[in-house]
Amino acid sequence: MNATTTGKRVLELTERGVAAPGVRADEIVIGLSPAFGDFFTKTIVDIPLAEVLREVLAGVEEQGVRARVVRFRHSADLAVIAHRAAALSGSGIAVGILSRGTTMIHQKDLVRLSNLELFPQAPLMDTDTFRKVGRNAAQYAKGESPQPVPSRNDYMARPRWQAKAALLHIKETEFIRAGAEPVELDVRIRAAQAE
Amino acid sequence: MTLVAGVDIGNSTTEACAAEIGADGEVRYLSQALGRTSGVKGTTENVVGVLGVLRQALAAAGASPADLSLVLVNEATPVISGLAMETITETIITESTMIGHNPRTPGGIGLGVGTVVRLADLPGRAPGQPVICVIDETIDFEDAAAAINAATARGVEVTGAVVQADDATLIANRLDRPIPIVDEVTLVRKVPLGMLAAVEVAEHGRTIRTLANSYGIATVFGLDAEQTRMIAPVARALVGNRSAVVVRTPAGDITDRRIPAGRLTLLGEQASRSVDVDAGAAEIMATARRVAPLADAAGEPGTHVGGMLSRVRDGMSDLTGTPLAEIRIRDVLAVDTFVPQRVTGGLAGEFALENAVALAAMVRTSKGPMELLAEGLREALGVAVRIGGVEAEMAVLGALTTPGTGRPVAILDLGGGSTDAAVATAEGDVVSVHLAGAGDLVTKLIDAELGLDNLELAEEIKKFPLAKAESFFHLRLEDGTVRFFDTPLPADTFARVVVLTDGGPQPIPSRHGMDRIRQVRREAKRKVFVVNAVRALEQVVPGGNLRGIDFVVVLGGSALDFEIPNLIADSLAEYGVVCGTGNVRGTQGPRNAVATGLVANHARTARGGTGDPEAESCPASR
Repeated sequence: MNATTTGKRVLELTERGVAAPGVRADEIVIGLSPAFGDFFTKTIVDIPLAEVLREVLAGVEEQGVRARVVRFRHSADLAVIAHRAAALSGSGIAVGILSRGTTMIHQKDLVRLSNLELFPQAPLMDTDTFRKVGRNAAQYAKGESPQPVPSRNDYMARPRWQAKAALLHIKETEFIRAGAEPVELDVRIRAAQAE
Repeated sequence: MTLVAGVDIGNSTTEACAAEIGADGEVRYLSQALGRTSGVKGTTENVVGVLGVLRQALAAAGASPADLSLVLVNEATPVISGLAMETITETIITESTMIGHNPRTPGGIGLGVGTVVRLADLPGRAPGQPVICVIDETIDFEDAAAAINAATARGVEVTGAVVQADDATLIANRLDRPIPIVDEVTLVRKVPLGMLAAVEVAEHGRTIRTLANSYGIATVFGLDAEQTRMIAPVARALVGNRSAVVVRTPAGDITDRRIPAGRLTLLGEQASRSVDVDAGAAEIMATARRVAPLADAAGEPGTHVGGMLSRVRDGMSDLTGTPLAEIRIRDVLAVDTFVPQRVTGGLAGEFALENAVALAAMVRTSKGPMELLAEGLREALGVAVRIGGVEAEMAVLGALTTPGTGRPVAILDLGGGSTDAAVATAEGDVVSVHLAGAGDLVTKLIDAELGLDNLELAEEIKKFPLAKAESFFHLRLEDGTVRFFDTPLPADTFARVVVLTDGGPQPIPSRHGMDRIRQVRREAKRKVFVVNAVRALEQVVPGGNLRGIDFVVVLGGSALDFEIPNLIADSLAEYGVVCGTGNVRGTQGPRNAVATGLVANHARTARGGTGDPEAESCPASR
């Protein structure tokens, strides 16, 4: 078990063994990158990962859908993580999140490099967007037709953040374990002052 | 043996056919083609389009323009049409009396009544009095739930909550005692504090019962008869919602105001009458019938209808280059419709379906410079060009080549801008009429009623059936059947209602379900085409009695539609009329009727005008 304390909430991720394919049609899977909430505690723009995961989970819960959280150690490629996660999801819908904040909603029948919604610019992701990502993923799982989350674009994001993003990605790839199975996680997010 | 070509220049398409006429007047049709009309019909701008279509037709027949001995061009009908739409009601909520925006995920179930307080003020409340809690978006859902639980533990009865963020289920899931919660109230700060309020959330798949009932509200707030009368519009506005909030304010009200839309004056050739536009389409059309035939129409200056008609006139004047004063409106079609509009004074961005009237107007233009057009063609081709025949008569001749038809016959030509009808009696007399309102009006109605704001998409919805992409490998079609695919559908269609266009499924970006879109589409077609079909036939049939005709042949671009001909056939069945889509020459469907009629007419006159056109083109039917 590892606990990370950032800001006012603590993210506790407890490993529960190899993740099995889901059978419930009312669940989605949230796929995490190798060092999410482990080595990394915040995104490229310093949003605590506890908040990121909490908002995505809240967005899913508000729609009355359940979420399973699974860590993937065999790759730090968002498309690989999100697509594998979708294959494990009972509804076929998954959200993939990298530690730096890059996010994707995927569906199991799509080809890997396609997606339902992609949020490629990690520096533009805020808590509100993460909530909406969870909401939309849950609505896809219910067979509804959500309006895609407005995708923002900042021409300066690339020159400003590319170097940092590259460093974060290199760091994340150091945690890759070739051939590692996806691991089911128990998520606890609690207030920091409780310690 | 001579090679001739018939050319029909329409509002939007130009059609041609090539035929050989034998020495005995026998016609052998060789080929046909169609293309877009270049410029306004009846002007020299058409030459380019006509040449293109002619070349196509001749190439298909294996001939060249030099082989032609004669080109026949129709006398283009000098009518064009325009349309305008205006809402005539608006809903206004005063003093933030109610919230009825129907969020997708309200929390809890049941009815809660209490005094409105802010979440921050909960700790200061004395136990005993029930309260409704207002929570703005700066408050986290866990904190909100904790505060409500703490207050409940102290004995302060929190009976419901109104939330700004999309948090209702999240808060409800964390409460010790469930309460109804309405969320996504964008202007939550405007909810009046200290007033008595009621929050109701119904179970999944049900609608609220207490707040949608005037006596329910009266019971909750202890209202007398007069106050109940005041609150009745609120109850009515909430019918069909799954959740709602009603606040009892001293003078709060919701009004359904009719916007003064102005008077429309219809000038007939004998009489003139005026009618209030907000009386609705039925009243306008009844008035139009009373003054028929229409000579012109005028709208009260400075009102909505005045603006609508002047927009139509301006458009027509620009298009045809006719001075504004000479534009005469010869027919109007009014259609009742509903347009989603934002409610004035709403706290949560509520939309209400407001009544609107759409008007299509038909304008008679001065006769186009057909001679100039013919001259232009003659120069370009080096072939004799003849302007022949009234369009309606030619269309009748073409329609009669449909197997199974006979005189007396009526044709309905359903185009983009106008609906035309003509009747040919057994003696050969032809009466025709041009009415406002056709395909373009249907597109506009679909666009407005679905709130799409995208005419191209509305056009596709009009033309093609719907489906829902339930997975990447199957579509649920609008008749309930399923179609499977081997290759995955495009990613942007997933989970959406799509139009099955020729170019593949195209997603419709709206919250409307497939059934709703289908209903809007069919209703729009019925309101325009069925109404116009009956109206047009009544005007051309002798005595106005539809039982006097035996055959109705539906022609024109809109006759290719997958449901319009059936809707018309259904409505005409009660008159004992045989109605169906034309099949010109037994092969062309509803297309090419005028071009075919031109050739048939030429062959008949060349032979001395004694023959019957049916004999030439359908020898097998004799």
